[in-house]
Amino acid sequence: MARAPFRPNRSDGFDVVLEAGEAAVLTRLCEELTTLLSADEGEPEAADPVLERLFPRAYLDPTEENAESDWQRLVHGDLLDGRRRALATVEGTLAGAELRRNRFELTLSEEQALDWLAVLNDARLALGTRLEVTDDLDLSGLDPDDPDTAPFAVYWWLGVLEERLIDVLSA
Amino acid sequence: MKGVLETPTVVEPDVDETVETSRPWVVVVWNDPVNLMSYVVYVFQKLFGYPKEKATKLMLDVHHKGKAAVSSGNREQAETDVARLHAHGLWATMERD
Repeated sequence: MARAPFRPNRSDGFDVVLEAGEAAVLTRLCEELTTLLSADEGEPEAADPVLERLFPRAYLDPTEENAESDWQRLVHGDLLDGRRRALATVEGTLAGAELRRNRFELTLSEEQALDWLAVLNDARLALGTRLEVTDDLDLSGLDPDDPDTAPFAVYWWLGVLEERLIDVLSA
Repeated sequence: MKGVLETPTVVEPDVDETVETSRPWVVVVWNDPVNLMSYVVYVFQKLFGYPKEKATKLMLDVHHKGKAAVSSGNREQAETDVARLHAHGLWATMERD
């Protein structure tokens, strides 16, 4: 990872630098999320735990089932569209990146940076749910050459990248 | 002497029903093992305009107690807040106060 993958620029936006491998992983994650979200068409109660985590219930009270259905009908489409738009932004800005010495460089507006934050977070939610991570997940003993732990390495990397982005957005 | 002027029956209003509809709804955010603490603080500041200290305290409540009430209002306001929180990947639910 670059020392500063996200840097504020003079146009109130951010300059982004990703290593080639990082850009490839991020592109692949976007594709997987897009596929996952299209499987959710018109089925807000899908059994996939990742979809359940991305689109949870609002009401826990079993006597509010009607309110829950009404609310899902009202908001689910917008929540889905919002996620898709953010994914399209990340895919589009990555595709337009310049490759320089094995690094991808691109520029984001503040609005695009917010979409990147949404996608990084959604990717972590999806991967974290698949990997069934718990609060006491310890990633310190990861062997980068072990294919079984590769998804955990991606999960860890997403967290570091997201922290960096939150740092510049909060400044 | 009883008759025409006997005490009329007083009809009590259904107090419970009146109180029920005006009780506010509370929005609760639940702890989850994935979301970054910094991200949760950021979202609380962004969505509710809370200063960093309050957002951080709420996040720590979520983290240590398992959940925290982040806002309250009528049903429609609570539903809106829940949707906004879900749009940011937080798990929120709503319940009567």
